Amino acid sequence: MAEEAEKKKESPIIQVKNLYKIYRVGESKVYALNGVDFSLRRGEFCAVVGPSGSGKSTLLNMMAGLEKPSKGEIVIAGTHIERMTEKELVTFRRENVGFIFQSYNLLKTMNAVENVALPLSFRGVPKKERLEMARKYLKLVGLEKQMDHMANEMSGGQQQRVGIARALVVNPRIIFADEPTGNLDSKTTKDVLKLMRQIVRKRKQTLIMVTHDNYLAGFADKQIHIVDGKILKIEEQHHEDEEEL
Amino acid sequence: MRFLDLLVMSVNNLRRRKLRTALTVLGVIVGTASIVVMMSLGIGMSEMQMELMESYGSMTAINVYCDTYSQPEGSQEPVYMTDEVIEQFRRMDYVDGVSPLLNVGVMMRQGQYTANYVNLVGVTEDYMKQITVGEGRYPKMDGSEVELLFGNMVLQNFSNGKRGSSYYETGELPDVDLMGKPIFVIYDMDAYYQSMNGGTGADGTAVKPPKKYLVPVAGIVAGGENEYNQYSWEVYTDLEALKAQLKKIFKKNPIPGQPTNKKGKPYSYFIYSNAVVYVDSIDHVKEVQTAISDMGFQASSNSEWMEQNKKQSQMTQMVLGGIGAVSLFVAAIGIANTMMMSIYERTKEIGVMKVLGCDMGNIRNMFLMESGFIGLMGGVIGLALSYSLSYLMNHLPAVTQMMMGMGGMDGSISRIPPWLAGAALIFAVVVGMVAGFFPAVKAMKLSALSAIRNE
Ligand SMILES: Nc1ncnc2c1ncn2[C@@H]1O[C@H](COP(=O)(O)OP(=O)(O)O)[C@@H](O)[C@H]1O
Ligand SMILES: [Mg+2]
Repeated sequence: MAEEAEKKKESPIIQVKNLYKIYRVGESKVYALNGVDFSLRRGEFCAVVGPSGSGKSTLLNMMAGLEKPSKGEIVIAGTHIERMTEKELVTFRRENVGFIFQSYNLLKTMNAVENVALPLSFRGVPKKERLEMARKYLKLVGLEKQMDHMANEMSGGQQQRVGIARALVVNPRIIFADEPTGNLDSKTTKDVLKLMRQIVRKRKQTLIMVTHDNYLAGFADKQIHIVDGKILKIEEQHHEDEEEL
Repeated sequence: MRFLDLLVMSVNNLRRRKLRTALTVLGVIVGTASIVVMMSLGIGMSEMQMELMESYGSMTAINVYCDTYSQPEGSQEPVYMTDEVIEQFRRMDYVDGVSPLLNVGVMMRQGQYTANYVNLVGVTEDYMKQITVGEGRYPKMDGSEVELLFGNMVLQNFSNGKRGSSYYETGELPDVDLMGKPIFVIYDMDAYYQSMNGGTGADGTAVKPPKKYLVPVAGIVAGGENEYNQYSWEVYTDLEALKAQLKKIFKKNPIPGQPTNKKGKPYSYFIYSNAVVYVDSIDHVKEVQTAISDMGFQASSNSEWMEQNKKQSQMTQMVLGGIGAVSLFVAAIGIANTMMMSIYERTKEIGVMKVLGCDMGNIRNMFLMESGFIGLMGGVIGLALSYSLSYLMNHLPAVTQMMMGMGGMDGSISRIPPWLAGAALIFAVVVGMVAGFFPAVKAMKLSALSAIRNE
């Protein structure tokens, strides 16, 4: 219980206050987000769950600074990102955020190592150093044999592992993942999720994952259920550090 | 992002679509080559014109002329060009050198060959050093002795006195050895003809044949027997030496070609009908020329002619360059088109890069580099192509023949000076980057969201 109290004292890394996103489609308005409030602590693995069209992606994109909210505040590590310019947001993402895509989005012209090293090159890390780091992270996700494979020479699960390594290599404080296992079979999905949870927990990084699958959401410490742009409920559960992968 | 990483990415992107890149580059090659070749023709033509003009006389020389026969009537003192006037010229601003031309018609003879009329010109060192000597050396210029510098075509004046065959009839040069055998000069031609015709002098006695002088030949003006230049037809010598020689020969009698005063007596000093004033640069020719005209002499130079010519050749160059520029403009549209295509194709990739934190400026620069690189490649290859085309044009027999037909100009018709090559390269790169600028900005502004929308 003392541990629990300590966690509460810690200031949240992400705070979302009264967030709205309204799309205009012709004459009508679509409330993609309709007043959302929550906060996340550092090192938390949070799942945003809800049916398709409930506004999960919209929420994630706004937290990653890819979209502007219509109303409300998003405070990440003490800074209001809804007030930032696009240029500042890019810098913010470069320095704080890792991103895992549903469709992996590896660059087809690069092999696995180069793909993982790409975000480091945006930070101006010299080539030798960044390739070395990329190899280290590829090993971490279990791809030591596929380092030189091009994107189309790997299976979906392998590609997503490259995607995870690419998100982790910059050692971000926050990792966003929009349906990261949407294109994977159930066995691979479990492997990938466990891998993500394990790494993130070890490094005290915050992971926010969007999914429509309640079962997958169960892997997270905290589940935010969204329906029609509103939070239905927030569930917390503690997972023991499970078996080795 | 590091510059090198950016460069590598740009180049890799170009390599990805080899055929498309090659075609776009081809457009720039054609554009660059057409500008360079067109301009090189313009430059070649105007330089050839310049060279042609220069063969007619230096661009910085002013020819001063004073008509000794049509001086104002009446009490007014005639305005003559004397040594004093020459000194005035010499003291003028921007004047580097002056030479009066003392023209004397003489007869020359070697063995059985005679030249009935040769124009012997006394000049100063300023003038003499403009002449290029082919064979031999310059004459002595210290006033001690008359030494001759023969124009390279003067030999055509000699004919065989007995057989009367001249160069114009036979087309063969007379067998006169200028440098080897002595040349005799007869200064007093009047006396010569009078003695030949058995005439009598003023005092009634028969005219004695005038004295022949053995004059050493110092050298011959550079050029073949048919290569005309402005020094080809005269024989040159030191002015002071010639003056001394003439005074010695004619004593108090009037020297042929020199004016006399109202009483028909010769002046005690030499009067020149022609002089050349050398100005330090083309820009000052006009000024000096005006000053000389104001002194009452007629002055002419190539500067007006040249200025007119310059304007005309600038026009020609602009028109030719403009024709070439049209094709480079078309190439620029090609570059812009290629870049737009490339951006549409890579929308997702650009979005992913932005999500991963790639700076917007870096994205723009990456595309700018790509288009600049297309320009550079096109420029380099286009320049190489221009050099080969230029070489072909200058060496193709058909072209050379056509040129000979056009007023007998020779030399290279297509010339690519280093500045043109450099400017073409820079221009090609700039055109590439300008054409790629709007696509690059468009890429920079692409929404990152588009990357994560699953299609
Ligand atoms: N650009 C947009 N323009 C109009 N409506 C949009 C746009 N993006 C999303 N929406 C709407 O907002 C709602 C939430 O979308 P989204 O966040 O993508 O749902 P989810 O990711 O939960 O499936 C949906 O009803 C969707 O149609
Ligand atoms: Mg979604």
